[in-house]
Amino acid sequence: MILVVAEQCEGRLNRATWETIAGAQALAGGMPIKIVVIGGTTGDVPSDLASADVAEVLVAEHESLEPYTPDGFTMALQTIVEQLSPDFVVLPHTYQTRDFAPSLAARMRKSLVTDVTGVSGVGSSATFSRPMFQGKLSAAVMPQGTAPHFVSFQIGAYRADAVQKGSAPAAVTKLTVALDAAKIRQTPEAPFQEAQQAVDLSQAERIVAIGRGIKAPEHLGIIDTLAKAFGAEVAASRPICDSGWLPMDRQIGSSGQTVTPKLYVALGISGAIQHVVGMKGSQTIVAINKDAEAPIFEVADYGIVGDLFEIVPALVAELEKA
Amino acid sequence: MERETLEVDVLIVGGGPAGLSAALRLAQLQKEKGGKELSVAVLEKAREVGAHMMSGAVLDPSTLKDLIPDFKEKGAPLASEIHKDHVYFLTRRSKIPFPIIPPPLQNHGNYVISLATFTKWLGEQVEAEGVDLFSGFPGQDILMDGDRVIGVRTGDRGVGKDGERRPNFEPGVDIKAKVTIFCDGVRGNLTKELIGRLRLSQDREPEQYAIGIKELWELPAGRLAPGTVIHTLGYPLKHEEFGGAFIYALPNNQAFVGFVVGLDYRDPLFDPHMNFNRFKQHPFVSKLLAGGQMIRYGAKALPEGGWNTIPRTFMSGGLIAGDAGGFMNSLRLKGVHLAMRTGMLAAETAFDAVHAGDTSASALGAYQRRIDASPVKKELYPVRNVHQAFGFGLLPGLIHAGLVVVTGGWWPGTIKSHPGHERMRKVLEYHGASGSGDVPMPSNETPTDRVLTFDKLTNVHYSGTAHDEDQPVHLLVKTDICHTTCGQEYGYPCVRFCPASVYEMIDDGNNGKKLQINASNCVHCKTCDIMDPYAAITWVPPEGGGGPQYNGM
Repeated sequence: MILVVAEQCEGRLNRATWETIAGAQALAGGMPIKIVVIGGTTGDVPSDLASADVAEVLVAEHESLEPYTPDGFTMALQTIVEQLSPDFVVLPHTYQTRDFAPSLAARMRKSLVTDVTGVSGVGSSATFSRPMFQGKLSAAVMPQGTAPHFVSFQIGAYRADAVQKGSAPAAVTKLTVALDAAKIRQTPEAPFQEAQQAVDLSQAERIVAIGRGIKAPEHLGIIDTLAKAFGAEVAASRPICDSGWLPMDRQIGSSGQTVTPKLYVALGISGAIQHVVGMKGSQTIVAINKDAEAPIFEVADYGIVGDLFEIVPALVAELEKA
Repeated sequence: MERETLEVDVLIVGGGPAGLSAALRLAQLQKEKGGKELSVAVLEKAREVGAHMMSGAVLDPSTLKDLIPDFKEKGAPLASEIHKDHVYFLTRRSKIPFPIIPPPLQNHGNYVISLATFTKWLGEQVEAEGVDLFSGFPGQDILMDGDRVIGVRTGDRGVGKDGERRPNFEPGVDIKAKVTIFCDGVRGNLTKELIGRLRLSQDREPEQYAIGIKELWELPAGRLAPGTVIHTLGYPLKHEEFGGAFIYALPNNQAFVGFVVGLDYRDPLFDPHMNFNRFKQHPFVSKLLAGGQMIRYGAKALPEGGWNTIPRTFMSGGLIAGDAGGFMNSLRLKGVHLAMRTGMLAAETAFDAVHAGDTSASALGAYQRRIDASPVKKELYPVRNVHQAFGFGLLPGLIHAGLVVVTGGWWPGTIKSHPGHERMRKVLEYHGASGSGDVPMPSNETPTDRVLTFDKLTNVHYSGTAHDEDQPVHLLVKTDICHTTCGQEYGYPCVRFCPASVYEMIDDGNNGKKLQINASNCVHCKTCDIMDPYAAITWVPPEGGGGPQYNGM
């Protein structure tokens, strides 16, 4: 049995969970899949997830699981995993997973394969690939030791829309977990004001990204207009953030974020490999650049060679018509 | 601020071939001679031992045989025994084989190795002996008591870009030692400071350096037999420029492709990386690489000056070994065995001194006597003038090298030379007023095909270099004349000589240019610290663990 650990916060699902379910389905090879949703309150998340072709959705709510603490999640999941004894426990490779999964696996003395980008073979003979050397090499990893093996899937490794839906909704079952609140050593403070503002670009469906071709910070205005017209987040390549025209948390690439939106519009970005590694997984890439030789066109699905200061206003005008 | 202090008998700064050989030799002496057990610590700035190691490399196994006689049983990763040497002189379009392989370039019995892999293995041998190996900790400052070296302070962690402490701040540790062996590599930041403070280079010739740029390639099957070694002279270098290129074939259809040029070139617009690209575009080379794929990139300076440029390597409480001291044979293009040998000799000296309770400069002077009686002097003394002779051009250099080989090193006196960066000419002097029309652009602006040739930024990606972005810039530029003076006179040479796009002149918004330092691109090659014509750049270690990932290089 494969156990998928969903990620949610107060009833809001992290969409990477769907990708993880798709990954679990690729791994299953006939093994049943169960999804576990844990937290203080889970809202509609379990019933939403029940539409996937899985055996069962398990829900474990406990007041000590809200807000998130690594101790609370480690304890709750250890109990659940020991109770269910799955063959694999799969998780989305999110910040939260990175925080608690190593201690969970270590506490249970099980292997943990992180940041997995693909699976070959199924079930107990599966081999996982994970990137090394900033994505240049891909290592084939087989977990050692006894089950369960913990596996976290890289964001974007599987597509959320590739999840096989069931013919009827899966059963949703409540689990009770006993948690000793006294054993939780962390007391989280209220989320930072900053943290609330910080953008998690990996969740954006559309991104408009700018590079050196924007020339001066005065031109950010027309980019904002285009982003609004698309309903997109604004992001940038390194030089823009280095110059302080946009905050560092909007940087895409090897020293910034890795994103896989449905639409990525690259404006005046030459496509240095350090940038491309952060966005090449996007579903549709549109590039606008003056230089027809710019490497960004090698990864673009649609390319326009031209002056972005002419093209962007024209695009905005068309989008506003629509 | 209160710092933690660690006291050891012998501290070794730098986990390369010299430092690790020293550590291993100390452990061996302990077993052989017994007595009070010495505590030994090794500092290494890379996150993992070997990660910052890059060289050609052809290994002369003579020292390895002495240090680890059963190296084969212990699985020393010697990639391939050398089967065939080739030496060519390249012209723009063709190649002329040397009639005979010059004896210094005959590599029978030597091995092609990945220095990173070899060093990692050497580190395992050291750790198996129970020596404490602290990787991820750079030596930041020398601790001194008057003229006496008493240890090293490691770098702070968790200092932000603005110099303020971040929540994860951890102060560096003071490691105090009876003897500190400095093995911090070519142009090591601590050795450089020691040489200045204690005037260790008084009466010596100025050190000479070169920069080596290398890529690891995967080639179509059967292209080159493993153990094939190719050296070239000539194109793309001019007669006045010292250097050459190499191709070393490894097993599994891999090969090292590298290019070395003296950091004493006169043309301020010279760009080593661009010339590496030109070398690869030579028909002979491009044919060899066709259909292959570049999988790794790196760059590193080399100490090329030879015997007469080696500083005094002993002082009260301190010794210098390996590339830090300049122990390299530039005629044979080899230094790993000399680094290992001087590391062993330094260990023997330190062991005796600590046990005798006397680690003064005169007691540690035994190191020099050991070097003089060792194969190190026997190998380096005869070729002491070779690099300097090439300062007169390729032909005089070759003639001198030939004479040295025939006479066993006889030469009346010392051939003088200048520090390499002082030889750089100003743009107007070198290219003339009309030169600008025909001036080659820095390689960043030269079209590359990203199959055979790459721009610097793409190459840097393949060095795997990474640094925490939120830390102070580790390249200290103590001047603001970049645009006003250096740019006018020398045409922004830092942008050209840096092989990793660290230095960039950007628009300052006032119709001028300003220097932007992309410190996180740095591959720790030290070229800027060496070649800047105003000697205004100082390389200091970034936060521990940052830097390239030279696996397989």
